[in-house]
Amino acid sequence: MNGGTVLPLVGRPDRIQRVATNLIEIAAVSKVYDTSQRGRHVALSEISFDVAEGQFVSILGPSGCGKSTLLYIVGGFVDATSGSVRVSGAPVTGPGPDRGPVFQEFALFPWKTVLGNVMYGPLQQGLSRTQAATRARELLGLVHLTKYESFYPKELSGGMKQRVALARTLAYQPKILLMDEPFGALDALTRKHLQNELLEIWERDRKTVMFVTHSVEEAVFLSDRIFVMTNSPGRIRKVFDVALPRPRVRAELLVDRRYQEMVVAIEKLMDEQEPELS
Amino acid sequence: MARVNAIPGLSALIACVALLLIWDGLSRAFAVSGLPPPWGPLRELPNLLTEPETLVNILASLRRMAIGFVVAIAFAVPIGLMMGRSRAVAAFFNPLFMVIYPVPKAALMPLIMLWIGIGDMAKVLVIFLGVSLPVVYHSFQGARSVEEKMLWSAAAMGLSASQRLRRIVLPAALPEIMVGCRTGVVLALITMVTSEMIARQSGVGNIFFTALDMGQYDTVYAMIIIIGALGFFCDVGFEAVRRVLVAWAEPSHQIAVGSA
Repeated sequence: MNGGTVLPLVGRPDRIQRVATNLIEIAAVSKVYDTSQRGRHVALSEISFDVAEGQFVSILGPSGCGKSTLLYIVGGFVDATSGSVRVSGAPVTGPGPDRGPVFQEFALFPWKTVLGNVMYGPLQQGLSRTQAATRARELLGLVHLTKYESFYPKELSGGMKQRVALARTLAYQPKILLMDEPFGALDALTRKHLQNELLEIWERDRKTVMFVTHSVEEAVFLSDRIFVMTNSPGRIRKVFDVALPRPRVRAELLVDRRYQEMVVAIEKLMDEQEPELS
Repeated sequence: MARVNAIPGLSALIACVALLLIWDGLSRAFAVSGLPPPWGPLRELPNLLTEPETLVNILASLRRMAIGFVVAIAFAVPIGLMMGRSRAVAAFFNPLFMVIYPVPKAALMPLIMLWIGIGDMAKVLVIFLGVSLPVVYHSFQGARSVEEKMLWSAAAMGLSASQRLRRIVLPAALPEIMVGCRTGVVLALITMVTSEMIARQSGVGNIFFTALDMGQYDTVYAMIIIIGALGFFCDVGFEAVRRVLVAWAEPSHQIAVGSA
């Protein structure tokens, strides 16, 4: 496990200063698993792309294409076999509060109340209990969970848990949100609600988001850019720029020809990949 | 378990009475001097418990038990947690514990007495050994099954590896650690009595085995009842503490409904 130290993002004397137009730079990242039982498995092969500040990008692909692994590498939770990831110009060497993850599994701290969970990051950053509580309550308001602040995670539904997880991550104000199939464990209706809420929250400050999903509609509805990945080895197959106007309203989008065409185009592309799965 | 008893403790009372009746029946049927009917020991109980010497002995036993138990937890929990989170640490300690595990800890008593004498220290050490292993094992299991993503979330917040061990792995593994501690409480009691059998100066086991040597069977059986009761109250007390500490992990039926 990495130490979780935060690298200073600017002014490292050992590095040539450069203007960071891209917040995330992924250069030739590969991930190879060498297992004694199953041999060599190339999860990611030479992935390269940049994400500009304030962009909402989705990584879309079938399960097992390494899209989550790529997100974990950007998060610093998993090491790449080769290649490099830079965030704000500095190479990623471990997790840090500039990149906030939201996982499909919620990963809440079950011994903490909802408020305690959301206060955790701010307290770690050195805020006083009062300041941390104020910030946490503000975010709980944003995700409509004000009434539940004294609840324990076990008492919440899946959708509520994921709202808490989102609030907990936003509370320590990361520059980048890393969302790993965050709505994958939720029912269809809850999922739509949370997509709408995520966009509402995102519109407030337009944080950079890397969003991993296998739902085409979700990716098109949320993103500025979509990276479609192929299966074993994981590669970027095609990039789609979603030129749909914001703020987006689902009802309007559903009857928008551009939305429909893009969904169909991506669905088709992913259907072609299907044989590779076997 | 289904709730059979409307009045709390009623079924326990019935079980106790049934045990006494069976005991009475057996002692009449076999009529050996080593198995008196239960009424003698029961009459002996208040005599024993009002005698200051008995109380001093019980307290001495409980004190050693408490020290051995607390020291064992202070030692076993960190080791178990580190074993659960680091393969190197697990590889180092595992063979060691595998060897120690099947050895009856009380059997080491004579050796320990050779090392450090027959005083309190020897008994505390044996209790410590008895309690440590289940606590190490359950701490290890608990730490190993901590959700990776929970640790990642903490790492992203800036918690260092040692902070994650103390502030994430420890509380997350606490329900499992508590299972080990509960086994540890019972083992502490068992090793306590056995250690006092081997090195008799004071304690519950001292009264018990001295009475046995002298053929005072009413006292012997009264002591068995007292030791049983001690075990029962230790367990009840521990369970109360456990419930408070890990209330957040107990299954709840109050799932909040509404805004999904």
